[in-house]
Parts: sequence; C-alpha cells; structure tokens
Amino acid sequence: MNDLFLDKLQAARLKERPLLMTHFVAGYPAMAESRVLAEALAAAGADILECQLPFSDPLADGPSIMQANQQALDNGSTPKSGFALLDGLSARTGCPLIIMSYVNIAYRMGWEKFALACKKAGAYGLLMPDLPLDEGGAEFQDLLAAQGVHLLPVVSPGMEDERLALVLRKARGFIYATLRSGVTGARSGLESSSLDFLRRIHQHSTLPVAAGFGISDKVQIDSLQGLADIVVIGSHLLDLYRTSGLTAVQRFVRSLQS
Amino acid sequence: MNRATQAFYYGPYGGRFVPEMFGPALRELDAAWRKYRKDPVFRKDLNNLLHNYAGRPTPLLKADRFAELIGCNNVFLKLEGLAHTGAHKINNALGQALLAKMMGKTRIVAETGAGQHGVASAAAAARLGLHCTVFMGEVDMRRQYPNVYNMRRMGAEVIAVQEGSRTLKDAVSAALKYWAGNLQDTHYLLGSALGPHPYPRIVRELQSVIGREVRRQLGVYGFSAPQLLLACVGGGSNALGLFSPFLPDPDVRCVGVEAGGSGPEQGRNAIRFGGNGRTGIAQGFKSVFLQDQYGNLAATHSVSAGLDYAGVSPELAWLKERGRVQFCSADDRSALAAYDTLSRSEGIIPALESSHAVAAALAMAGTLHPDTVMVINISGRGDKDIFITAPHFEEKAWKDYLLSEAAREGRNE
Repeated sequence: MNDLFLDKLQAARLKERPLLMTHFVAGYPAMAESRVLAEALAAAGADILECQLPFSDPLADGPSIMQANQQALDNGSTPKSGFALLDGLSARTGCPLIIMSYVNIAYRMGWEKFALACKKAGAYGLLMPDLPLDEGGAEFQDLLAAQGVHLLPVVSPGMEDERLALVLRKARGFIYATLRSGVTGARSGLESSSLDFLRRIHQHSTLPVAAGFGISDKVQIDSLQGLADIVVIGSHLLDLYRTSGLTAVQRFVRSLQS
Repeated sequence: MNRATQAFYYGPYGGRFVPEMFGPALRELDAAWRKYRKDPVFRKDLNNLLHNYAGRPTPLLKADRFAELIGCNNVFLKLEGLAHTGAHKINNALGQALLAKMMGKTRIVAETGAGQHGVASAAAAARLGLHCTVFMGEVDMRRQYPNVYNMRRMGAEVIAVQEGSRTLKDAVSAALKYWAGNLQDTHYLLGSALGPHPYPRIVRELQSVIGREVRRQLGVYGFSAPQLLLACVGGGSNALGLFSPFLPDPDVRCVGVEAGGSGPEQGRNAIRFGGNGRTGIAQGFKSVFLQDQYGNLAATHSVSAGLDYAGVSPELAWLKERGRVQFCSADDRSALAAYDTLSRSEGIIPALESSHAVAAALAMAGTLHPDTVMVINISGRGDKDIFITAPHFEEKAWKDYLLSEAAREGRNE
C-alpha cells in the first residue's frame, strides 16, 4: 500500500504534475453505483481514490457532500457495507485508497475494529477531521499505524504557527491542507492566502501535501504547481455527477490529466 | 484525552472534537472568557444589562394553588418566562454578546431550535449593535413562526436549514460551518451548555444566575435551601442554570425532565438517559446521544421544539453518571396537560418545554413529604407555542380564525 502511493508520487514528481485525488461517498447514489463511480474515476485517470463513509452530521462538509451523505444513509449505507465496497478496489484500480469519515463512526465501531477494517480495505490513510491529536487522535494514530495505515492530519489556514507545528510534527503519510477555513464546496479562483498557507506548511514539514476545498478547474490546479503534490476534487465532482452524469465526470477528470 | 485537554472534560464527557479549522476561534474564545469573566467592567456591564434590559431578578413565586394539586406546601416557580424575550435564554445571549463585543467582533451567528435562543440572540445583538444571523431548521421555523417573525423584526437574518432532519442539530451544524468561514469578525453564540469546550462552561456559568437568585429568594421566604429542583432538559442550559449553585449540597435533589414525545421507541422522543442513548462524539463534544448502531445521530420527536435534541450537555451526562442529577421524562400528552393545569391554577402559561418540568411535578403528586421545598424552573412562557397549543385545545376556533384571517388577507390584496 505504501509502495503504491510512493511509486505514484515519485512518478508524478518526475512529470512535475500533481496527483489527482477524487472523492466519492460509499453508497451514493446507491451502493452499486458508487462502486461504478469509483472505478470510472480511476479509469478516467484519477490517481488516488478518497472514499467517505457517510455520517449523519458531517461537520466539515458543505451542502453537496452533506446531501450525498444523507442519501447514502437513506439507502442503507453502513460502515460495514462501505468497507465491503472497498474490498479489493485499490488493487483492482491501481489507485491508493484514502478513507474519510467522522469520529463517531469509528468510535461506535470500536477503534481497533475500525483500524483493522481500514487495513483490510487496503487503505493508505484515513482522514478523520473531527478527531484532533490531543483528543484521542494520537492514540488512534498508533492503532492505525500498527495496521500500516496513516492517520492523515487535516490542517487549515487560520491555525496558529505553534499549533500547526505541533500537528505536523506528529504527521505521517501526507498532509491534507484545506485551502480556506469553512466547509467543502466548489468555488472559482484561489486566494493568495491559500498559497501562502501551503508555503507555511512546507516550512514545518517535508511530507507531501494534498490541497483541497474549493478546487474545480485546471487553472486552480496549475496555480498549485510546486506547492501541492496532490489536489483533491470533491464537491465539484459530486455536483457534476448530479447534474450531468458519469460520462461528464469522466470527461472532466480526463481534461484535468491532459 | 491528555493533560492539555483535561480541563475540557466532565469525567469522560466533553472535549473539543472539531476540525483544526475551528481551533483558533475556540482558543481565542477560551482566552477571552478567562480574561473577562471576572473583569469588573464586564461584570458591571453584564449586571446592568441583566437588570435593566432583561428584567432580572425574575420572580420566585410561591404557587399555592398549584401546590395543592401535588400535595406539597412549599412549591415555588422560578419565572424565567418573565425575563425579556420570554425565556432564560437571554441570560446567556447577553453574556456572550457582550463578550463578543469586548473581543472586537461585529457579528454573531446563532442556532436555534424553538426559536427562544434565536430571539434572545437577536435582541442582545440589536441592543449591543451587532449584526446577527440565526440558523433555524425548516421544520422548527414552521412550528415557531412568532419567534421567526420577532427575530426578523429585531434585525436578525434568519436562515432556514434544509439539511438532515431540519431541526436543532442541523441548525447547530449550519451555524458552526458558517462560523468556520467567518471567524475573523464573527462570534458563534451557542445557546446551550454543550458543544466543544469552552461553550459548556461559558453557558453554564452565565445561566447559573438562575440558581443564585433562587437561593437568595428562598431565603426571603425563610428557607435556607430547596430540597427538590425540577427543570426540563433539552440541551440542559436552564437545568444547569438552576442546579449548578446547589450541586455542592448533597441534600438538594436535582431532577432533569426529558421529552418523552409520543412513545418510548427510538425516533419518537428525545430521552437520552432512558436506555436508547449511547455515548458518542458529535457536534464537537462527547456525551450521550440518541444514535443508530453505526453512530449516526437519530431522529427525535417532541411536541416542544426546544427539547428534541439528540445530544445533551456533557456536564449533565457526567452528573447523571455520578448519580448527582436524576432524570425522568414527560411525554407530549402530559406536557400539554401540565400546560393547561398551570395556566388554570396560577394564571401562568408555561412554554411547552417548561411544561415538561411541570408535568414531572404533577406526576410526583402524593409521593412527596408535604413540607418538601420544591422549585420548578418555568424556563419560558408559552405565547410562542400558540400554533401547537391552539389547535390542540381549541381546534375548531383556531381553524376558523386562521381561515377568516387568510380570507381577509385575500380580500385585501
């Protein structure tokens, strides 16, 4: 799992282009369709697949992803069915897998059981934005590490230098940077403060950096050149999927990789 | 939990389970609160507002006619409904709005369930010259139109939350998210003793004025302390406000009353402490939540919009676990009956939330020693509930009235 990610990263660095991480929700719009979507994303050239296990009250997500969470839950998506969906996906597609969810899903399942399930699913890392390191995150990070899975930190522009340094000192895998404070959701352009934030992160850590929140076009991605190894597209893909369907999503992903 | 975050906790409950993007604002708030809570200027301004604007102290009424119905001689009602904007919520709203102003913020954002906290926030913001945005679930907006109207009249922007169950928990999420995008100039005025640290502490402390007044007022009646305190529990702010000054005294029995809704099955009530609730982590804190087996927050129901929250104050969860606060529930039907009983026996129309505490007192009829000194927190008044109570008590008259008003509006167009 480690090798898959590192190989991809090295190849991308040689080509001087970022890795494309695309987000989908397990069970949205339904379980079978979300599998088709994930495989289609990979086929269209996505480098990393980020799968969100749905939660009823996703604190860091905007309207598009919230609605997808709710619909997935209404369709009966559970952590168990989500993990089953992921079984073999990474190997089949050749894409490293990142799992994203909220802390109560792992808490209810049990920390160790959840960590084991992440490993079985072939995950490279886990994003759990509402589990800070000093609220049990550090202990969970160790449990995950024992299974070969990284707990990936999610950091944001408003963080004080001291806090950023603390969080990044313990970071493993890669760093997920939100380009702004606020919730996920597509918007145009990139603020200079977002780029400054990425520069700040590089002063604290040599780990690869993934940039997310608000990315929806090639111009934005190009302006991240040299500052982010990974770009994350979430809400925009969901919006596109909803309005224009799977083919449009694939066309869009291809256009980013050209 | 580690040493650095120990102060965030009540036993195993509490904490600050939020994405890092919220951290700076919560740390700034925590520092400001520690700086100003004992600051003489802050205290003086707040006391002035509580007295001259909110109308404190609220009366402690010896309710003799109501007392006869439960066979006790010493039943007192703490009339928080007589505070400005009609409920205890103003105590917290004024305190936090003043704090926000001292922090140099120009805007506040608030969530609201029944609308009482929204109205209190709108009023406090107007009074202190702050811009106010209130998030309210679409379902609650329908149930509590008078409060929506009043918030708008005081200059607040009310935003309908259409996500999830479209009730209080979704309004909390929406307000937190709005805050995350506007941290520079905005304070999040959270309305109950829950959420990420330091909110549970701030709200509990600002509401404890209720209990402190009760202690003083009971003294005037010749009692040094109460023996039984009753308060409804949604998030828990009016209950903690009443209980907290008495918690060190083991002889004061504290009882929280949850919403029994329309039945014991999950989804039909908001009883967190009745068997369906489980420890969980959501909305920024660890506490007891109604949730499904996977950890998703469950749907709740209550006739009162202010009690149907899936979670509860982490401090109350800890007090329950330690056995210091007991809990019971009153269902929709008995709350409505209690509303009627108190209205007729004392000429006091309680909020449907507070009616749950009244119902619990009525359920204790005959089981208490006649000399028991009991205080029931009438946390709010019932005007706002007319769209729920009128169709219940006077279905035909209410319908005729609405139809005739609608027809009149139609003719005037």
